Amino acid sequence: MPASAALRLQIETTLAIRVPAALTLKIKQAPELFATGISEVDAVLGGGIPRGSITELSGTASTGKTSFGLSAIAAITRSGAACAWVDVSDALSPESAAAAGVELKRLLWLRTSAERKERVTDKSWSRLEQALKATDLLLQAGGFAAVVLDMSDVLPQHTMRIPLATWYRFRLAAEQARTALIFLTQAPCAGSCAALVLRSEPTCIQPFSSHGETPLFERQPYMLVRERNRNEGSPFLQKKPSVRAEWHAETLWSRVR
Amino acid sequence: MYAVLHPPNFFAQAAAHQRPELRKRPFALLDGEPPAEIVVAANKAARALGVEAGMTRLQAESFPEVVALSRKLKDEASAQMILHTIVCLFSPRIEYVEKYPGTYALDIEGMNRLYGDAEQLATKLRQSTMAAGFLANVAIAENFHAAVCLALGRTGVSVALPGCEAEAMRDLPLRVLSLEPQHEEIFQSWGIRTCGELAALAETDLIARIGQTGKKLHSLARGEWPHLMFPIEPSFEEGLIERMELDHPVEILEPLLFLLARMTDALLERVKLKARAIASLRVVLNVDGDKLHERIVRPALPLQDRPTLLKLLQLDLETHPPSAAILGLELHAQSAAPYRAQHGLFLPQAPEPGRLEITLARLRKLVGEQRVGSPELTDDHRPNAFRMIPFAPPPPARSEKQSLSVPTALRVSRPPQAVGVVLTGNAPAQVFWEGQKYIVREIAGPWRVSGQWWSEANWCREEWDVRLGTETAERVCRIAFDPSSRCWYVQGTYD
Repeated sequence: MPASAALRLQIETTLAIRVPAALTLKIKQAPELFATGISEVDAVLGGGIPRGSITELSGTASTGKTSFGLSAIAAITRSGAACAWVDVSDALSPESAAAAGVELKRLLWLRTSAERKERVTDKSWSRLEQALKATDLLLQAGGFAAVVLDMSDVLPQHTMRIPLATWYRFRLAAEQARTALIFLTQAPCAGSCAALVLRSEPTCIQPFSSHGETPLFERQPYMLVRERNRNEGSPFLQKKPSVRAEWHAETLWSRVR
Repeated sequence: MYAVLHPPNFFAQAAAHQRPELRKRPFALLDGEPPAEIVVAANKAARALGVEAGMTRLQAESFPEVVALSRKLKDEASAQMILHTIVCLFSPRIEYVEKYPGTYALDIEGMNRLYGDAEQLATKLRQSTMAAGFLANVAIAENFHAAVCLALGRTGVSVALPGCEAEAMRDLPLRVLSLEPQHEEIFQSWGIRTCGELAALAETDLIARIGQTGKKLHSLARGEWPHLMFPIEPSFEEGLIERMELDHPVEILEPLLFLLARMTDALLERVKLKARAIASLRVVLNVDGDKLHERIVRPALPLQDRPTLLKLLQLDLETHPPSAAILGLELHAQSAAPYRAQHGLFLPQAPEPGRLEITLARLRKLVGEQRVGSPELTDDHRPNAFRMIPFAPPPPARSEKQSLSVPTALRVSRPPQAVGVVLTGNAPAQVFWEGQKYIVREIAGPWRVSGQWWSEANWCREEWDVRLGTETAERVCRIAFDPSSRCWYVQGTYD
């Protein structure tokens, strides 16, 4: 046995109790993926969003963040698992959720509120603090296949103030609970904690249709840019170039037509 | 050995017990809907005058000296309670003989150390009953039915020695066997009047003539018909209560939790002895000012887990604290069969019921009672009408439902935000929202919706789908004009 191998074995044996297999490379297994229900996006993401990691989707208003989130949650609830939607601005529309195919009974909806009538705690929580605390509780409880933290209406200057330690804690908790944690934000805030970073961008405008007497808002094209996918790391290329996926969403009434 | 206590003419005795002035006078008890009331019982003096059970009110009132009274169930219940208390002193195993009102059978096996031999016990039992104001017959026999028959047929105390039941019952009239009318008629035609005469008949011949009932009657007359005793047991559910009075008023919840922990422990121990679990806990706090503060904690599944129950109690009391200092507390539990389920190995992930319950309680405390749960769409024309229901995910199961296409989600503004709108013609051209000026690039509408015009809560609005744009950004929104307030609102943003 060469001297280096013997030395390595000796170090590993000494550290075995504290750090098992300290000098052996950990074989990373491909993460389990949840399909998002949007074929164009799934193709770009290699199958869907990763389970047990943070997925961050950022973008301005009307760029399809909520539609994407609901579509992913719908696919997961249809598989029989329970999901949670932590709604910082109390903006989720149950009608839209039902139309997206979400099984509402499997969805736990938390609506944070700033104007609470009855104050039960000594300390008053702002909406964002409430949402972070609630997400923490949900991840600790476990059992949820996906948790969406919807901060779409929170200004970037507020989300930037959240300490990085919170995201690290969430990352660990999500990994242990095998929960897909999805952030919907205006600007990226989780930094390196997010395994999958997506950006939604405004795309070419499709005019309202005018088949009938009055124009009708029928469909909206969206653009999704994959910024980073940690699970796709390659030894040769550290940073892969961004990949774009164009997809569209229809309004409910256009289904009837 | 069984002792049977039988108060003859129980209804009349119960009525006289409540109104002692009736003891000296003849009276009849009437029951039923007026005017079709009939006599159900009469005391000895009234019967001597000719009053019989089954007479109408008119017939009973035709005896001028007889007092006609309405039957009171409350009197009978209180009389029965007194008798029950007395018999409980003589044996822990008692059975109520429903066929004869007020009659109790006691299992007196092993009671001789306390009350002497059978005869002494019977005498003491009878004396106690008479001291309480009731006349009663007491009979003791090894056979349950023999003891009942003896108590029905003999006045005072009668004791049948083991193996001599048939001998003791020999002279009893046949009515103590509570015969059916046709059998009574048959025995009368045969000239059989007493139990002894019936017991002397050949069993097979009797069965050949009146069927299998003959076997039972023959055994009853010989004092040999077996009986399985079902003793009255105190209700388990009613006993699941723990009470505590506090020496000093307690204002903070933390010290109270120590007491609640002890009480929950005691309840859980009792519940576990019956292999059951706690389905709900009701805390009744007696607060300063003679007020009661009541909270019910109902876990999703029956629990045997003390920390979970305590945590649920704590979170509930912290969310709904009592208004004043606590003087005393009661903890009522309701039991149920514990939850046991074996889920499939390959089923999707689901929250564990016990942990989920605590998490939900914590979340309710954090964001508010009505803000945690699952949304449920209501049957209403109003767009985005929903209600919150408690989160209880159904068992994991794969759904085969496929969605048609991805719909555009609407982010609802709750409450709708008021905006300034510049109109061109009748359509919006510019929107001023949160200090920003938006140009309406495209517009669809108006969609006129209204509802509940028949009530105060009527609503009506004109909705427009608009693409709003500034130099840098663009967004698609739904804005609405409310004719009643003549204001423009943003209903939501398509995202």
